[in-house]
Amino acid sequence: MTNAELWQAALGEIELSISKANFSTWFKNTTILSKENGKVVIGVPNGFAKEWLENKYNTYIFRALRNFQEDIKEISCVIYNLDQPATNSDGRKVDSIAHASIGGKSIENPYAYAPGQSMATQASYSQKPHENNINHRYTFENFIIGENNELARAACYAVSQNLGKVYNPLFIYGGVGLGKTHLLQSIGNEVLEKDASKKIKYITSERFANELIDSIRNQTVNDFKAAYATIDLLIIDDVQFLAGKEKTQIEFFHIFNALYQINKQIVISSDRPPKAIATLEDRLRSRFEGGMIADIGQPDLETRMAILKNKAAEKNFYLDEEALRFIAENVKNNIRELEGALNRIVASCEFNNKLPTLKFVQQTLAEIISAGKKKGVQTQHIIEAVSQYFNIPIKELIEKGRKKEVSYARQLAMYLMRKELNASYPGIGSQFGGRDHTTAMHAFEKVSKDIEANEKIREDVAMLREKVYAL
Amino acid sequence: MKVTCTQENFKKAIYSTERVVGKQLTLPILENILIETEGGMLKISATNLEIGVFLKIGAKIEEEGKITVPARLLSNFVNNFPTSSTVSLTVVDQTLHIESGSSKAQIKGLMAHDFPIIPEMAGSFLLSLPAQEMKEALPRLISCVSLDSTRPELTGINMVLAKEEIRLAATDSFRLAEAIVTLKKEDPAVYDLFFEKTSSIIVPQTTFSEVLRVIGTETQDIKIGIEESQIFFQIDNVRIVSRLINGRYPEYRQIIPQQFATKVVLEKNEVLRAVKIAGIFTNSKAGEIEFSVDLDQKVLKVQSKAEEVGENQSIISADIQGPEQSALFNPRYMVDGLQTIATPRLALLMNSNASPAVLRMVQGEKNEEISSFTYIIMPIKN
Repeated sequence: MTNAELWQAALGEIELSISKANFSTWFKNTTILSKENGKVVIGVPNGFAKEWLENKYNTYIFRALRNFQEDIKEISCVIYNLDQPATNSDGRKVDSIAHASIGGKSIENPYAYAPGQSMATQASYSQKPHENNINHRYTFENFIIGENNELARAACYAVSQNLGKVYNPLFIYGGVGLGKTHLLQSIGNEVLEKDASKKIKYITSERFANELIDSIRNQTVNDFKAAYATIDLLIIDDVQFLAGKEKTQIEFFHIFNALYQINKQIVISSDRPPKAIATLEDRLRSRFEGGMIADIGQPDLETRMAILKNKAAEKNFYLDEEALRFIAENVKNNIRELEGALNRIVASCEFNNKLPTLKFVQQTLAEIISAGKKKGVQTQHIIEAVSQYFNIPIKELIEKGRKKEVSYARQLAMYLMRKELNASYPGIGSQFGGRDHTTAMHAFEKVSKDIEANEKIREDVAMLREKVYAL
Repeated sequence: MKVTCTQENFKKAIYSTERVVGKQLTLPILENILIETEGGMLKISATNLEIGVFLKIGAKIEEEGKITVPARLLSNFVNNFPTSSTVSLTVVDQTLHIESGSSKAQIKGLMAHDFPIIPEMAGSFLLSLPAQEMKEALPRLISCVSLDSTRPELTGINMVLAKEEIRLAATDSFRLAEAIVTLKKEDPAVYDLFFEKTSSIIVPQTTFSEVLRVIGTETQDIKIGIEESQIFFQIDNVRIVSRLINGRYPEYRQIIPQQFATKVVLEKNEVLRAVKIAGIFTNSKAGEIEFSVDLDQKVLKVQSKAEEVGENQSIISADIQGPEQSALFNPRYMVDGLQTIATPRLALLMNSNASPAVLRMVQGEKNEEISSFTYIIMPIKN
């Protein structure tokens, strides 16, 4: 164990025994400067921290260090500043510690990235984890592969193994809560694990726009651009939010080109394919389409079960096959919802002190799923959503018109009513100006069949479904 | 705790400590003042983890104890005390009962053992400075300190230790103020050893502001100790400790010209008025005013011109030695500089329109320069 690892491990332990405010106030920018003959010297940023650690937290620190190395007999603190390594003979050593901890960033050290650990302690070693926005929870290892995301996952993995050489840019799209961010972050983590010196930046398009606006206000646009030009891997999440922001798109376009030309990897995600992002500049769109486009669809039942099993195992929670199947069958749309349902069960089991039998699970989730019918959504919502999405007045949807666009929209609306709300065919017919129930049946069958083959329809349905639940 | 002390002492103690208390979101106890009995005295402390201040006042102690209470609340209360000679403090169940004359209050407090420990000096004081001289010099320096946090070393005041004096300097890279103060060594052997190792330190501007506040009209000297990137001040009964700013202060002495071609001696109030007027006739942002020295008429012309406003010119009689000069200055920096001048007359020293100009106080029949304070201002180059 190096000094840096020892200190990280000890901090992990100390953090549990004292309050968060105290932890971040007193242990910020601390480090082990030397360890010789059981004597540990801790570097602290100021006199207040020195007094406090020596007088108040002495026993905590001592105990935590002893847990990892039993031969420690004495600890002391000296004031030491991070910018300039201490001027004493330890100077060199201090420097090398700082470097070792960047390079070694010790993936094997569980404390280094423990979620919830204060950034402050990490910042003392290097600014990296802070700047690149990579969350270490998301890795390829804990990503569940299913039919729906095979391609996207394979593309991401290939990219992480071979930055800038295989698919550049890589464009991943898919609906809310299906794992786009997880995949994107995994690339970052994988690359960092292989070579911690790589410069990575993960940023959502909204943050990108905000940073740009700030830089314009502070007249530091050039610094902003220069900072991006040095990046090895740029990951932009939720790029659809760039739509309509023209100046941001232009700046992004220049940064994109600058990176692309020197073969730096760019990974982009969105909730829809580039074609479907309205008001995206043509030159950006064509560039997005120039690389590899992979989509993440909705997970099938088996994948959902696998995800549930995995999440339950993470929480050390046992659920039998039947109960798992029930959840997976009833929560379909979105992995985040799936996790939410599981959390709900875990919590109510603990609260009521009961075992998660199928019956208990059914009861607990009854509020979220009433036999497949989502709460609060009505046929009216679907008609509104379809009308907005296709920009066709509700009146026209309901009336007799047989224009091609209108009838396509009408069929999708009928399909959704049947599929999402389990509405009866005669009921659907009557919603649309008293049409016959066979019309509704035909629409449902037609869309069900076409959806298999036609990607456009699949997208439309997915977008509509999101819209309906967002209304 | 049960303590009685004089209202005057207590008021002064709260006034001296209360200001360092900052708005702290992470550690609420830092918004409090610590009141405790120690060695037969009442000790009042406050800190924001950058600066710590404490002092002891005499008190009649009937029962030992300690408590922390919100600083703002306490100081607002204390400021409005009715006239009375004494204050009595009692702590019951984490509540401070405080009574002076006809006024009584109960203030809810926090456990004293969570209050940060203010570092004490391990060794002894290194030097002392004359308090009244510092009281004059510090405000002149503080106005020149940079607020730009991207260059942290300029947000402090540079203190250079020399054999017989210390040099204090502040700059924001457009102008610079330097004051030289003679020092008294507490222990010459220790001091000489120390200043050979560490001669230049940077003290945060806020620390000196605090020191300035504490210096009273009767304060004799300020004792200073430096240890482990911290500086300790003892002013009367108040002890202040602060961190030092890491970094290297620019070698500013190199930019001060050794000799000046032209020396212009002026009446301070006349120039100040002329510069203020000229400042009106400039674009508010990138204002510049022109100083031109006219040997024939023995005058200094101060003029400015702004396209959309108009123009003006003031002519001030001057005592001139050396060739004619003209240079452009920022009016705000010039006003700041002139306001540091405490004598009725001053000397403006110039070399050319691209070299730094210097303002110094002058005294006596022969207009001798006082070299203990120098204000340097960079001209605007065209």
